[in-house]
Amino acid sequence: MKIPAIMYKEFKEYLLKPGSISWGVVFPLVFTFAFIVRFGDIDHLAPGLISISVLFATTSFVSSSIIFERRLRTFERLLLAPLREYEIIIAKALVGTVFGFFVGVITLLSLIEFMVYPIESVPLTLTLITFGSFAFSLFGIWLGLYVRNPINVMTWLNILRLPMMFTSGAIESLTLFPAWFLAIGLLTPLTYLVEGLRVSILNYYELFPLGDSLLGLTVFSLLMLLLSIKALKKLY
Amino acid sequence: MNAIVARELVKVYDGLRAVDGVSFEVKRGEIFALLGPNGAGKTTTVRMLTGLTGLDGGEAYVNGHSVVLEKLKVKASIGVVPENSNLYDELTVEENLRFTARLYNAPIERVGELVEEFRLPANRKFGQLSAGLKRRVVIAAALVHDPPVLFLDEPTKALDVRSAKAVREMIGILNKRGKTVFLTTHTMSEAEKLPHRIAIMNRGKIVAVGKRNELKRLIGGKVKVRLSVDPISSHLLRELSAYDPSFDGEGLLLHVDDVSDFIGLLCSLKERLGFRVNHISTELPSVEDVFIELTSGEEERPCACGGCPL
Repeated sequence: MKIPAIMYKEFKEYLLKPGSISWGVVFPLVFTFAFIVRFGDIDHLAPGLISISVLFATTSFVSSSIIFERRLRTFERLLLAPLREYEIIIAKALVGTVFGFFVGVITLLSLIEFMVYPIESVPLTLTLITFGSFAFSLFGIWLGLYVRNPINVMTWLNILRLPMMFTSGAIESLTLFPAWFLAIGLLTPLTYLVEGLRVSILNYYELFPLGDSLLGLTVFSLLMLLLSIKALKKLY
Repeated sequence: MNAIVARELVKVYDGLRAVDGVSFEVKRGEIFALLGPNGAGKTTTVRMLTGLTGLDGGEAYVNGHSVVLEKLKVKASIGVVPENSNLYDELTVEENLRFTARLYNAPIERVGELVEEFRLPANRKFGQLSAGLKRRVVIAAALVHDPPVLFLDEPTKALDVRSAKAVREMIGILNKRGKTVFLTTHTMSEAEKLPHRIAIMNRGKIVAVGKRNELKRLIGGKVKVRLSVDPISSHLLRELSAYDPSFDGEGLLLHVDDVSDFIGLLCSLKERLGFRVNHISTELPSVEDVFIELTSGEEERPCACGGCPL
């Protein structure tokens, strides 16, 4: 009952906050439409564009809520309650996952109109969007808790996620770049969602098969969960 | 049985000992106040006792549970009213209380009881309420799981006189119902009226603990006597010099150990010197006098609490 209660509160309190709307909905959708207008080959861009939408939606939503809660000290409400750290983090990550899932699906629906080939597997695509949303939500939570001054969280978030659009191969294939850039790509969590969606939407991959994508996102999620718990303990 | 036990508590922020070897005990059913200037370490002490901040030294028990080893049990058995009214602006009063009830696994029916008891506007958003009403909602939220111990950090801060009085009355009622109340304040009127015992804290240390009268005795316990006589002669002032006389605008201010002896002396002086007594009044030393005496010479220091930048 505690985790659903936190989730309900998060949606009611933060869904319409400017940070969630501007970076979480407007930016990814405008970005997607810009590519639709400019380029014809939407099929090959779809995995990258959906991944970028999910990344921005989830990280913006969860970090926005953490920024508000830390500044207004409502975060202490959760810490004063008989809750374990992981319960707080999982609840926030699930809210981010739901938000990211919807933004990801809206992006997907927008792209389908302009795609030539049908999607290879819709259930697998939705599963991957869910996996990615969860992983990136945890990333946003970790950063929201790790940065000491909450005012700076959004800045750090952009410093980290904007380069990911390129280092993940979301827009341009990583196989076109030198080996050192490919190494950076393998360390970029977004790469694993892009590669996974390539399989589920287009039925091919460039770097590794679907299993590795799921494994990469799972490992990244666990790492972010542990780091978030550590950051939360250190912060208070 | 003690509701709260603190032994040699220490908290260090950036090399500064915000709480420096603090020890005290709070009995069940007691109202205990931690009185001190800004930056004394009061809020940090509350944060340590409520499990919000870790301890750098010492040990503490709330309701018999260690705040270090049994954090969840401590949290389940206390209600906390923080310095800021920190509920959720976009949620209604009822939604805020329901949310809190779920966090504590409290029965949802309790929300309706609290709304009625505290006369709260159930369907109004928290962000739209006045400061006084917000405070009432936050106190109600702290009671949603009916905890035996309540922590209130500066409960009347930023409230108007009427709202502050209402909150004080509320605290008194809760205590009469058996709640142990631990409050921090730097408001003298609050310290003068509410608590059974007071600990005066300054620069991270407890400088005195006791009942009001015990604390007053600490600074000598002399009674202030205000005297207005006509005429005031130099002879009279000489006769009263043992009472440390001074003028305070309303007449002579004297510091007296035994009031009845002083009245006897005054009567004999009146017969001998022939002056008229216009007004005489006595005043016991206040908590404020004790506070100033025990914390004199100390400048306020900035708040070292780790929560402030958050």
